[in-house]
Amino acid sequence: MTRSGLRKLHEGWRVQVRVIHALMIRELHTRFGRENIGFLWIMVEPLLFAGLVAIMWRFMKGPEEHGIGIIAFVVTGYIPITLFRHGIARSVVVFTANGSLLYHRQIKIIDFIISRFLIEMLGGMMAYVFIASILIYFDEFPIPADIGLLIAGWMVYALFSFSLCLIIAPLSEMSDALEKFIPVTTYIMLPFSGLFTLASWLTPTMRDYLLWSPFVHGMEMMRKGIWGDQITAYYNVWNPIIASAIIAAIGLALCRRVRRTLSVE
Amino acid sequence: MIVCHNICKTYPLGAGHKRVLDNVNFAVERGDRVALLGRNGAGKSTLIKLIGGVEMPTSGQIKRHMSVSWPLGFAGGFQGSLTGYDNARFIARIYQREYSQIRDFVEDFTELGRQLKMPVKTYSSGMRARLAFALSLAIEFECYLIDEIILVGDQNFNRKCHYELLERRRDRTMILASHSTELVRELCNRAVLIHNGQATLYDDVNLAVETYANL
Repeated sequence: MTRSGLRKLHEGWRVQVRVIHALMIRELHTRFGRENIGFLWIMVEPLLFAGLVAIMWRFMKGPEEHGIGIIAFVVTGYIPITLFRHGIARSVVVFTANGSLLYHRQIKIIDFIISRFLIEMLGGMMAYVFIASILIYFDEFPIPADIGLLIAGWMVYALFSFSLCLIIAPLSEMSDALEKFIPVTTYIMLPFSGLFTLASWLTPTMRDYLLWSPFVHGMEMMRKGIWGDQITAYYNVWNPIIASAIIAAIGLALCRRVRRTLSVE
Repeated sequence: MIVCHNICKTYPLGAGHKRVLDNVNFAVERGDRVALLGRNGAGKSTLIKLIGGVEMPTSGQIKRHMSVSWPLGFAGGFQGSLTGYDNARFIARIYQREYSQIRDFVEDFTELGRQLKMPVKTYSSGMRARLAFALSLAIEFECYLIDEIILVGDQNFNRKCHYELLERRRDRTMILASHSTELVRELCNRAVLIHNGQATLYDDVNLAVETYANL
């Protein structure tokens, strides 16, 4: 009994991997086409955003802040936040947008969120590697002290962003008003994302407040992974993991509920 | 076998609800060719979507003991901005089939030629029908769900469908929603008449068609 159950689970897993792969290719084709640089466009937006903001800060605030290169600091902050904001934006009414694909039973609504989020994540990672390589060449970016910690930080940051997508996608199907609040909410989120400051630059009281935000833990991990001993980082990897687990559980329950009433043309 | 057990489906309508299907029970045996009859808005397409798993019933259960195609109809199943070939590639991927075989069959069956390189949104409804049928025939299902679409084709297409579905796939199950009583009499051995949310199964197609004609 358990063995056949396991086999079923394994088979289901294989089907979902295949479906997500197919959905990602389809999404890349519909969004970027095959003209000029094609799917490489996925990294252009985070690249431009992080690059231009970094240059702006460089001229406004000088080359360094608290002894850290400002260009590298801004880049490490903006690429993750782009992942979060784009991930959320791409999750809004994603079920209705892809409704015609629900004609194929092996495609689950969660696959839509996963495939879109993976594309954003790939784009973000490619942009990260690309811009860091260039900046390292010009000596504007340190060679990461601990790549493992950098990747782990990116992963928990992405995990938390993804769990939020799991909630936003079904909620946006349930209420039209929600869509209007998303841009302003993600904007207000900026200071709580750990983007502008390291926790160690803040007063202890402020730091305690900020460390409630799971984003900050991921961000601190990434920056610790890059600058190593040059900075003091405050993080607890369990904060974003536990927060993600709770939010994802609620999100999955909402998805299940919305699927029952979803009407497909 | 496909079993529908106590199927109810309600849609929101203004402030209230509209019950489109109310406690529908019937079973389709392997090899059955079932016609779904009913007036416009009676719930034929809804029932087909529920059987195909596109939408979920509000309550009740559907058990599928064979592979069931996606509903072949005017809408759904395709991405309009992608080309016919891209859609074929996508279908081949998600149903784990060899793309080259699917492509060859689609080219041969649809006779769309270079149009297959164009986005599906530029297709006429007849061309879409050809593509949808070609893909589902290439994948080979045990049961085909057909929603009206068979009527939009031209003579050549009807002849092909006739051959592929009725001669080569004589053993397959079919659930067909149609207003064409002629087609239903010719193709089907059983019929389900949907009226006021109730579904009645007839083993005598002629009787079902007569009842339907008098609604």
